Amino acid sequence: MMTVATTNVLLLLCALALSIPGQSAAELKRLDDQALGAVAGQGGIYLSGDVSINELGGPVENSYFGRCDDETRKCGARFAYRLKENGGWMVLDDIRGNFAFEGLTLRVRTIDSGFGGDGVLFRADVLELGLPNTVRFNDVRFKIAASSTARPTDPGFQQTDIFSVGMRGEVVMEGNLLVFPVGKP
Amino acid sequence: MSCRMKEQNMTLIFRRVIVLIVGAWLNFYPGQGRAELERMDDAELSEVDGAGLGVVLEGFKFSHGTDVPDANGEQARIFKIGGITSTDGREVDITVNHLYISGSGSNYGENLSPVNLGRLINPYRIDVVDGNTFGVKGKAVLEFAAPAMVDSAQGFNCTSASAVVGSGPCSSRPATVDYIGERPDIGLQMNVRVGDDRSANINIHAVSAVIDGSYLRLWGDNDRRQMVGQFKLNFYSPELSIHACDQSGETCGSRVLLKDFALELAIGNELQPVFFDVDGAGNFVVEVAAIQQPATGDIGADGLRESSNAATWDFYESYYTNPDYRSNLRIGNFRVSDRDFGSMRVEGMLIQHLDIRTRDLAP
Repeated sequence: MMTVATTNVLLLLCALALSIPGQSAAELKRLDDQALGAVAGQGGIYLSGDVSINELGGPVENSYFGRCDDETRKCGARFAYRLKENGGWMVLDDIRGNFAFEGLTLRVRTIDSGFGGDGVLFRADVLELGLPNTVRFNDVRFKIAASSTARPTDPGFQQTDIFSVGMRGEVVMEGNLLVFPVGKP
Repeated sequence: MSCRMKEQNMTLIFRRVIVLIVGAWLNFYPGQGRAELERMDDAELSEVDGAGLGVVLEGFKFSHGTDVPDANGEQARIFKIGGITSTDGREVDITVNHLYISGSGSNYGENLSPVNLGRLINPYRIDVVDGNTFGVKGKAVLEFAAPAMVDSAQGFNCTSASAVVGSGPCSSRPATVDYIGERPDIGLQMNVRVGDDRSANINIHAVSAVIDGSYLRLWGDNDRRQMVGQFKLNFYSPELSIHACDQSGETCGSRVLLKDFALELAIGNELQPVFFDVDGAGNFVVEVAAIQQPATGDIGADGLRESSNAATWDFYESYYTNPDYRSNLRIGNFRVSDRDFGSMRVEGMLIQHLDIRTRDLAP
């Protein structure tokens, strides 16, 4: 199973490889629209994932964060962002759990039919992200909160937890997410 | 919920794209370091009008909820929202029994089917737009928008599930025999527990829902050095129903039916944007500042244009008459059980000032 991190590393390597300069032995030629129209690529990407976030606890252990079996500490990840200079922080707090999916697909697809007649009018390529039909959530939880400081260990820390969400089990998520450029560049 | 899921997928793509760009840049920069990156100011950035990202969900279906515990008290699926406290200090938790987005004809979430969200020729959009086009001068504005409203000759009636072309301004089409359409059934069934009292069940279902013309625009305010925004929510449904059942879900009380429901909510406009902030005690603050007062003598005692500063008078005239700044709520028929209460309209609400602040009730 491939995690998000590994995919990212692979993509990084890809980017590095793609842009190795100085080896241009052959001259690159421009393909016109017609020639490009005859090029057929391979199927795309099929991805299965299993992502765990702080299932047992994060890497930081101090007066606030700790292992999940320690009830006096919080073990979830924390993500804080600020909407005003010198203002308070919006926080996604105590993010933890595990989610897994099989069969997320990614490919480029040409649409020229269907969609109640829109396909013919559209006639263009889209990036298609095939949703995995079901995503298994294993005690995924997080909190939405607002806080006076970015870190709970900062002086003067005060936080209001607005609400928390907990999810377990199979979530039905079917369909294709189609992404394409709109407007005039 | 669907929105969060969509965002997860989007963030995944974005993260990959960013990793790619960073990778390419890392590689390019050391060798070719001739040009220096220069900061663009607001005026320059506001001229940028790139291609935005169009997003369409094809054959989409979403469902999550909480199962009834089996003999051992185990639940396969759980979906809970907690951490809320009632005003008298009791803990509130919401068990979401079922949250769904489905094609039409779902019979209140019983038969889920796929639906398209957004049209290829009028999709959901994520875009950086030129603020000058809608009165936010010299700013680049990040916009998340639902399918735009269209000319009535090409559009469909927003609250009719059997609308035909040329009947209204909505772009999303209702389902027909041949096509699943772009109007989903959306529902939320939940059980609200306050302290030990688990009696409140609330179910909300919207049939053939449309949110065309909704948007969220975000930009930065230089003077307040803060994120500001403008939010428009349009929500149309031929039938919005609210009812309460007992805990088993078998015995239901009277159903409150809102027929031909249309909500057009405008929070913030270019003259009075919404400000988002967190205060020093860690409370979330949403604010819409009041419109500025005219200088003394600018508006004549009789309030007529002739006796006032013309430019100032015109400014306030346009502020008070602009329908885009107003919120509307229309209900075609309000029915409780078998009683009809007729139609209801609240039109032309203008938010003059708003200050919402969360407060921590926990000791």
